[in-house]
Amino acid sequence: MYMITKSLRLIAIYLCGGILAASCGKKYFLPRERNNIGDDAQFNQAVFQPVLGRTTQYMGIFVPGSTTFPAQFRIINARNVATGQSAPELTNLYPVMVWKNAYTGKETSLAEIEAKREEQYRPVLEVGGSGQLTMWSMAKSSFIRSLPDSGYVFDIELSNSGGRRYFTNFLLQPFKERPFEPTNLDPITGQPVTYGTHPSLVTNITGDSTNANLLASDIDVFIQKVASGTTNNKLTFRFFDKQYNPINPDRFGATDWPNLVHGFNMTKTATGVSYDVSYPLPSVKLPTKYTNGVGDRAHLVFAYNTFDSFGAIVRASMAFDFSIYENANWEIIFVFSKDNPKFN
Amino acid sequence: MNLYKYSIIVFLVSLLGVAFPSFAQGQVTIKGMVKDAQLKQPVDGATVTTGTSTTKTSDAGVFTIEAKPGATITITHVGYAEKKWKVPAKPDELVEILMNSKDDPMEQVVVQSFKTVKKSTMTGASTVISGKDLQDRPVSNVMDLLQGRVAGLNIQNTTGSPGSMATINMRGVSTTNVSSSGNLTPTSPLFIIDGVPVDVNSNYQYGFESGGAGISPVSLIPPEDIESMEFLKDAATTSQYGSKATYGVIVITTKRGQSKVPIIQYSGSYFYTTPPKLRSVIGGQEERRIRLNTILNFDTASRQSSLEYINRSALLSDSLNPYWNNSTDWQSYFYRTTSNHQHNINVSGGDRRFNYKANLNYYNQQGIVVNTGFQRYGLNLVGNYMPSDRFFMSMSLTQQLGYKQNASGVGAYQTGIANTANTSSLYPPPSLFSNSEALASATTKNSGKLNNTTGSLNVQYEPIKGIRFTNLLTYNYSSNASDYFRSQYLAQDSAGLFSYNDRSYNLYNRSAVNFTKIVNDVHNFTAYAFNEITKEGYRAHMIYFNQPADDQIWGPIGNSFTRTAGGTYSNISEGRIHAYGGDFAYNFAEKYIIDLSYRLDNTSTNGPTRGYTKSPAVSGRWNFYKEKLFKNASWLNSGAIRASWGKNIKPNGTIFDVYGKYLNGPRYNNGQTVVIDFETLPNVEFAPEVAATTNIGLDLALFNKLNITADAYYKAIDNQLVESPLSNTNGFQRVALNAQSIVNRGIELAATLQLVQKDDFRWSVSANGAYNEATLAKLPSGTRSIIKYTTDANSSIPVINKLGTIPTTNLLYVNRGVYANTSDVPVNPATGLRLQYGSGQGLFFQAGDPIWVDVNGDYIIDDNDLVPVGNPTPKLTGGFNTQITYKGFTLNVNTSLFAYRDILNLVLANQFANYGKPTDITALIPINGYNYWQPANADRSSGTVGAIYPNPYDFRRASALGPFRANQTLFLENGTYFKLGSVVLAYNIDRNFLRNYGITSCRLSLSGNNLYNFTKYSGVNPEQVSTLGRDISGGYPLAKTYSFSVSIQF
Repeated sequence: MYMITKSLRLIAIYLCGGILAASCGKKYFLPRERNNIGDDAQFNQAVFQPVLGRTTQYMGIFVPGSTTFPAQFRIINARNVATGQSAPELTNLYPVMVWKNAYTGKETSLAEIEAKREEQYRPVLEVGGSGQLTMWSMAKSSFIRSLPDSGYVFDIELSNSGGRRYFTNFLLQPFKERPFEPTNLDPITGQPVTYGTHPSLVTNITGDSTNANLLASDIDVFIQKVASGTTNNKLTFRFFDKQYNPINPDRFGATDWPNLVHGFNMTKTATGVSYDVSYPLPSVKLPTKYTNGVGDRAHLVFAYNTFDSFGAIVRASMAFDFSIYENANWEIIFVFSKDNPKFN
Repeated sequence: MNLYKYSIIVFLVSLLGVAFPSFAQGQVTIKGMVKDAQLKQPVDGATVTTGTSTTKTSDAGVFTIEAKPGATITITHVGYAEKKWKVPAKPDELVEILMNSKDDPMEQVVVQSFKTVKKSTMTGASTVISGKDLQDRPVSNVMDLLQGRVAGLNIQNTTGSPGSMATINMRGVSTTNVSSSGNLTPTSPLFIIDGVPVDVNSNYQYGFESGGAGISPVSLIPPEDIESMEFLKDAATTSQYGSKATYGVIVITTKRGQSKVPIIQYSGSYFYTTPPKLRSVIGGQEERRIRLNTILNFDTASRQSSLEYINRSALLSDSLNPYWNNSTDWQSYFYRTTSNHQHNINVSGGDRRFNYKANLNYYNQQGIVVNTGFQRYGLNLVGNYMPSDRFFMSMSLTQQLGYKQNASGVGAYQTGIANTANTSSLYPPPSLFSNSEALASATTKNSGKLNNTTGSLNVQYEPIKGIRFTNLLTYNYSSNASDYFRSQYLAQDSAGLFSYNDRSYNLYNRSAVNFTKIVNDVHNFTAYAFNEITKEGYRAHMIYFNQPADDQIWGPIGNSFTRTAGGTYSNISEGRIHAYGGDFAYNFAEKYIIDLSYRLDNTSTNGPTRGYTKSPAVSGRWNFYKEKLFKNASWLNSGAIRASWGKNIKPNGTIFDVYGKYLNGPRYNNGQTVVIDFETLPNVEFAPEVAATTNIGLDLALFNKLNITADAYYKAIDNQLVESPLSNTNGFQRVALNAQSIVNRGIELAATLQLVQKDDFRWSVSANGAYNEATLAKLPSGTRSIIKYTTDANSSIPVINKLGTIPTTNLLYVNRGVYANTSDVPVNPATGLRLQYGSGQGLFFQAGDPIWVDVNGDYIIDDNDLVPVGNPTPKLTGGFNTQITYKGFTLNVNTSLFAYRDILNLVLANQFANYGKPTDITALIPINGYNYWQPANADRSSGTVGAIYPNPYDFRRASALGPFRANQTLFLENGTYFKLGSVVLAYNIDRNFLRNYGITSCRLSLSGNNLYNFTKYSGVNPEQVSTLGRDISGGYPLAKTYSFSVSIQF
């Protein structure tokens, strides 16, 4: 009898449950569909060492697991490693030039390039919708602690309507500015440690006195800022022989001067060639006719035709890949320090 | 089972008591009994009226009414045709009035838990389809006839291959497992054919999409031999089939001898099958022009490289070569109209004490694809013996043979032919030197055979009145064989013979004792206990001979013995199921009915610590129309409320999931070692799948002409198998967990209305609909979603199982149109680069590319931007059927409706994508009618504004970018369709006329099957899509069938 009453009670309970569940159609017993923050989500990079003065974006560092998008990421608890004090300089807003239209490498005037950018106020360190981390170019060692300082620690909050999760103790240890590459500046101290640099490739250039082929190491290259005028968008190339006498750029007669760099208003004098350009140079990491194959360096080729030792005409050239990140008037100086090139 | 039927009659007659006639002044008191004309069973609840007074028949079919002699009494009942009876001057003591059945569901005898009960005392949810409704339409698989007939039964003819089985789901999809061919693994109901369980889900062979060699066991059942089919949906009805009844049960009963005079019935059909409308294809010169213009006008590289590209392709450049200068209609070589026939002879006879039946069946259908077809040979013998009311024995023996030709494909798909039919028209017609796959399709010897032997013996004995012992023993043995031979000249001189065979058996014994007790005529107790044992096994072998001596000698060894292989498949299985339990039912005057049952199952794949799985079930019914309140409600013929709750199990996984797999290891100390396979970690807690179903139902019969059945259910399937990967520190690769749940909720409604019920003109309409919502309720270890990367015939589209939503959804890119101008593409403010596809590939979006939503805002379109969209399984299924009978003519129209489902139109995606491959040898199908992007200027940086489809001619980037990839919402279409399934016009020749020729009855009929789909879907057929809602062009087209049938009875 007990079994029967128990069964009857069961019936009553299940009937009520059944009516609720089956007829109302509400999801009483079911999990709801919602966004999710994956337990298996993680960042695969914890230490970030960008170079100040350049926009550095870390893509693909967040492994979403079963996280659903859209999701919001936020940098919180930015603090100084050494002092433990909060570091508002990372999250305060500063003006920075950002792209609003795509740079193609086919722009025909400086104004056209500049029109594709605009000034916005952004924090120096920003995290995007897929967990991508951006260090903007206005971050300078003047107000951001840089190596050898132990830098900053910050946490990232990930949230969507499915909940929130904290990823903690990311380390930010920026290097000091190195406004140009290839650089002779020490990454930690920011001081020059070598005597200039050298071209990327030297082909068929023979020394005037030695008649031997010049190597890249026989030519010194200096990238330097010059203070002149009010503008800060000039780029000038100069050439010097081993006595530091200027070489007329026209001697590099086979050079494609109009397409040497993505610059405009070329002025060529006996001592140098200068262009109006837009910094950083190259503007974006995109292979164009002005850059190397990867697109991260502007690609210069200075060339002239000459005779080889058998009397055949050959093309002698000197290539140099570089990049400049700071707005200024820059000069790139090539010095044939070992021997002068034999132009004819 | 017949005995139960008779015992109910005996019981009802005993309730009748003795009747005395009485006479009133001027009027006579008529006491009568209304009986079913065929079954001779009393009809209760019939309305008897003289025009002035009205009464109803009792449970025993008895009524008493006063009427004047000569008056006419009208008897009406929802299940029967109206009957008029003239009162004689001196009526008999007990007049007997016979009513002709209208196939009323309420009076049907139905199956519930191995008991045969009257539908009016049934506590569970079930639907019965009479065998009469399955005639006149020749089909290779009887399930095709049931589309839109049963509320809650979703039948999709996903393949038109004769002999294959449709996808059948009762009350929703119950799996998330996806096979390698891009279909959900089947969760078809369990079939019980004359008491023999047939599980069509097991031994599932990938690629065949069904068990064995592509022939479904269900396709061996001749529809002509079916007496009735019953669809058991809830736990109360399926509980006693417990061990495999999770996905519902379909009980098929074949015909029995019922006439003392032997009956010989011949049914034959001749039918034509026609392929659907073939696609129009661009041919010859026009095709070459399009290809050349694509390369010349849309190359992103230089003019020089365009010309090189053309010159490298002989197809395009060598246009005057007769080999490349054709306009071949490839489709015409593969699709055909066929004429087919089938014959069935049924011999039956006998009475209650002894009856017999023999059924012979032959069916031959040539497929609409060349070199395919299906033949069925069947023999079914049944004999019933009842020497006394206390002893009953039934024996049946069935032998069936199915034979199938598969061209070069496997059962369900004809990918080879579909690809070949999609060849460029520039190629010459099929020959050894053209696309040899075409010849292969037409000449490859590829056939499958299914041999199925079934026997059953049912013995019942009642030593003491009320206690009855029964024993049912069934045995089923089936073997599949499949041979595939590809000739030397088709296979680069390396002919190959692939030979497959498998065999499976199922031995089932069920012993039960039944107890019936009636107290005070109203308290009706029944109880029974049972014990059942199932033993089943399966093994499959294959052998492959490579390079035999020539095309005539198929073996015994091939020349290339290194590539010759053979052995037994790893899905070999051997299992036992033991179950026991009992059932108790109480019934108060057929008004209040309660049924309690309990069963315990143990299977070979239950973990050793799990023990027996307990499956209780409770159900009840209240026949409220028998309450006093409704005594005089003539509008209410019957009405009942049903409720049930119960559990069922289904064995899960394999024995290796429970105990692990042991292998021969290396020899140690000159002895053989045995080591465990580190593939699967043994799980001693492994449990079978358990479905708990709650069902509430309402049965109503109103106004003598309207029947309504409504059900609401909540079905939770727990313990589903999930292969969970283990950490690599574990040693084992994975473990099989019972960690997934799916909940199906829904409502079902079925109604039948007798519009006209005259003797020579009857018109009935019936409609049914079911709305089902499936929800994934649980995933292993707290995960909220699992993404699976599946590759099917044409595409690689990931699917997601996400908690709280439909169990399996496609993951798609959300498409918002086409970039009209390159400047419309969003730019990453940090890098100054346009939105790109993938990273580091340089695939920046430009004018004419699709706008895919960058969900996570990283200016990169990749897998993180995929979103679950769409519902591949119809939520709303239903049907509308009507039958009109006028004199000898009968017109039947069957339709079905499937709504709230989405289809990915892969065919359209391919159609566009082919334009991006100008040197590929695929056919080009016109795209003129579509609004696709076209450039407005020479550098293609701007073009059509508001285009829907991307630039199809961007051939340099197309393969990497995939603008016409199938997994985008651009190709997601509404897959709702309303199908005109069949129209049957039959004529019964006048019996009096036939009698002159010694024929009892003769029926002629014309029918059309798969006639038309009303749909907004732009593809060929919204039914022929995979169970993941993908319109795969490799499918076998569904044929239209037109038939002429004759049925003669002697």
